[in-house]
Amino acid sequence: MHMLSRFVRHFTFATFAVLAAALPIRAQRLLVPMDDAQSNHLKAYGLTYYAIKSGASAEWLLNYRGGSFLLADTPELRRRAGLDGITIESVDDGKLADIRAEIASSNMESVPLEKAPKIAVYTPPDALPWDDAVTLALNYAGIPYTALYDDEVEHGDLSKYDWLHLHHEDFTGQLNKFYLSYRDAPWFIDLLQKNTAAAKRLGFANIPALKKDVAEKIREFVERGGFLFAMCGATETLELAIAGHDVDIAQSFIDGTPMDPDADKKMDWSRTFAFQNAHLEQSPFVSSMSDIDGHQVNVPGRQQPLGTFTLFNFAAKFDPVASMLVQDHRSVINDFYGVTTSFNKSVLKPGVTVLATEEGAPWVKYIHGDYGKGTWTYYGGHDPEDPRHAIGNPPTDLSLFKNSPGYRLILNNVLFPAAKKKPLKT
Amino acid sequence: MAFYKALDLEAAGKYRDAAPLFRTAVHTTAAVNALLGLERVCAELGWPDSLVTLLDTLITQNPHEDTYRTVQLRTYQTLGRDADVRRAFDVWVHDAPTSATPYREYARLLLQRNQTAAADSVLARAKQSLGTTSDLSLELAQTRAAQGQWVPSAQAWRVALRSANYLEQAAAYALAPAPSSVRDSIRQTFLAPPIDVGGRRALADLESTWGSPADGWNALEDLPPDSAAADAWSEFAKQAEAEERWSIAREALESALRWRKTPDLSVRAATAALNAGDPVAAIRLAPPMQGDSATVAHDYLPLHIRALAALARPADAERLMTAYDRFLNPAEHNSLTRTIAWGWVRTGDMTRARAALAATGADGDSSDAAGWLALYDGNLKTARALLRGGTESTPELAVALGLIARLKADTARAIGHAFLALARGDSAGAASQFVAAGERTPQVRSLLFLIAARIQSATGHQPQAVALWTRIVQADSATPEAPQAELDWARALRASGNAAEAGKHLEHMILTYPESALLPQARRELELVHGAIPPNP
Repeated sequence: MHMLSRFVRHFTFATFAVLAAALPIRAQRLLVPMDDAQSNHLKAYGLTYYAIKSGASAEWLLNYRGGSFLLADTPELRRRAGLDGITIESVDDGKLADIRAEIASSNMESVPLEKAPKIAVYTPPDALPWDDAVTLALNYAGIPYTALYDDEVEHGDLSKYDWLHLHHEDFTGQLNKFYLSYRDAPWFIDLLQKNTAAAKRLGFANIPALKKDVAEKIREFVERGGFLFAMCGATETLELAIAGHDVDIAQSFIDGTPMDPDADKKMDWSRTFAFQNAHLEQSPFVSSMSDIDGHQVNVPGRQQPLGTFTLFNFAAKFDPVASMLVQDHRSVINDFYGVTTSFNKSVLKPGVTVLATEEGAPWVKYIHGDYGKGTWTYYGGHDPEDPRHAIGNPPTDLSLFKNSPGYRLILNNVLFPAAKKKPLKT
Repeated sequence: MAFYKALDLEAAGKYRDAAPLFRTAVHTTAAVNALLGLERVCAELGWPDSLVTLLDTLITQNPHEDTYRTVQLRTYQTLGRDADVRRAFDVWVHDAPTSATPYREYARLLLQRNQTAAADSVLARAKQSLGTTSDLSLELAQTRAAQGQWVPSAQAWRVALRSANYLEQAAAYALAPAPSSVRDSIRQTFLAPPIDVGGRRALADLESTWGSPADGWNALEDLPPDSAAADAWSEFAKQAEAEERWSIAREALESALRWRKTPDLSVRAATAALNAGDPVAAIRLAPPMQGDSATVAHDYLPLHIRALAALARPADAERLMTAYDRFLNPAEHNSLTRTIAWGWVRTGDMTRARAALAATGADGDSSDAAGWLALYDGNLKTARALLRGGTESTPELAVALGLIARLKADTARAIGHAFLALARGDSAGAASQFVAAGERTPQVRSLLFLIAARIQSATGHQPQAVALWTRIVQADSATPEAPQAELDWARALRASGNAAEAGKHLEHMILTYPESALLPQARRELELVHGAIPPNP
């Protein structure tokens, strides 16, 4: 009997040990650190987006280790992290309690992420994803999106999406004034023909009329509660198109009539998101749209040099939205040119939240605000890892920039609509 | 004479002393050169304003001297007197109504100041006044490039290069920023008939700048053979040789040889052919073994010996060497003997190979070649010692050393024979012998299978390669070769268009071997499979 009991005891212990080895010991949570311990910051956003989309619990730990994510510990998330080379750490109850205590006592906050936003990118149907920093980042991170363009916007498809991205579209309809330099280039001729055909197809007299209407529909999308994220020239021209809705702001090379000489005075800035009292560039020969952009990269006499920009540190518990948008493992980031690189402070509307600025410069880099029931965010420049991008340059390979702090700002914007709104503590 | 003394003082950096002497010389027969000297020293001294009155006088005295007018434009520009620059230009045009020179000089000044639109206006005015801009094609080309009008710029460059082919590098530099979307149009501009050597050379430079030297050869290959074309081919080949693009270099040098058959070109062409893996062509292109025996021995013999060894004709190589041996120093003799030993290896006659090496004495016995011969014999102990301390660094050597290091035994004949078959160029035989050796040597089976799989894959025998990768992944999953085999397998699948299967293997490899040093490569492959990053150019 004694022997039997020893055998049973031995057997039971052995069985437990084998089972324990066979079943992975699962932590209650996975921490995705976003400080320098993270080996692939950009893919970490894709992992978090996937977690939210698949219904797993997810939290954004603002200011905690570079803006880390706390995810449910599931085999599929572990598998994806392993495939993508994303650093994850197991968090048991004790560790979780420590993290929550640290968050409670510091300028940190935990924001639940609940619903993966439906993402649309406004881009021509034949565009490759490699010429737009946002589509580059979305592709790299594995975040799905739908490309739509003028036909879809005019047919009311924007209402199907939560989040819309614009990049280097010229909403004044002047095709970024590329006519000045590229009028004989086959790609420009093709661009002109396609846009002219689209305008006719959709019942507009010319390209500027079509683009102004598209801009108006984007404005309405935000007003109804949409999230807008724009970069590069789309920021400036969207505002000009909205303010100049009833004014001829296009040069004769594109619509056959010169710009209204009193256009500046007739602009209606009450309807725009970010800017006011900007002055239009009157010359058809100057590759600039207005004085909104501080850097004027395409105007030789006016071009300003690149510096660095600094992200503001917001109070996470009181300004969770602004905090989400600036989560990063670096606070000072190298600047980069775009058709519109920065935004002059002198034309910002009161109430615009400045997220990043260049110290001592008259411009800011990254701004945000509310409009109607929605929000908008503008990030100047074309590609955070290609500071002087030119037409025809090879695309950026993000596998070489997987820890890019500049690209993180883009992906912050993608996740931010997933956050559950908490009542402000103020 | 004041002018020469002024030059000496200028060369000595004594500008203050040189200036009055240049000023004196302006009134002598060296007036033009003296004025240019005075302009230089005034620039150094910060005295450009002191030229204004003098230039007015000189122009009044000799209104047809273009240099005076040009210096006047430059002086006003330096002084920031833009209105005076325009006025001086207008006066010059008035005084020389049929000359292109005023327009050229003024347009150049404007281009230097990035005033592209103003330069364009000057050129438009020239066309209106002169009826043509054919004498202003360089300025037109620069203006169009600065405006981003790449094709009109290329057209103007083509015209400019007809009379000044030394501008080819300037043309390539100016057109280099053209976006990829217009590059085909630029190519067509330069390639359109009739053929101009200058334009084609500019296009070849441009293609190199754009990262495609192979396309550069397309710009040059159909030049009608003459001395200018031969120069272009030879110059192009020089660049290709420097970049070790041997096939292109060989083509260019063969073309040059058709017009100008010199021993130097022949040696270069044969060397390029040999390095490109074509020993037959090397023998055809090499200079004949004729002429001064010492020169032949030093300059041509090594080339012939290398080619004959590569063709597995070591007996012919030996005969040739015997004929010229007395002109060779011991180092040259030993070097060529080792080359001949390689030739014997390629024929499979190891006895003769060893004999050849032995003839070179201690130098031969301790050489890389001796190490390889030991490996072919299966003598791992000797091979280990010689190859480790050798001077060679090739992928083949890395594989061989890796293999030897993992084997405890001092002999392994089957493995030696497999390497020998590979050295002889018998890929199929080598693959099957590596497999056979692997079956008999379990401790390095996975490595031998991996070598065999790579040979099979490289020679297009994918089913055989897949069978070997499968065996490694399934039967030897704990070896370092298992992740490598799965990565090779996935790459082959992706190359054949089967991205879905490639993705499965990559995922399996990444998740099964999380500590593998190959993970970054595997993740990159997976990103390419998923379209997460731009495809490789």
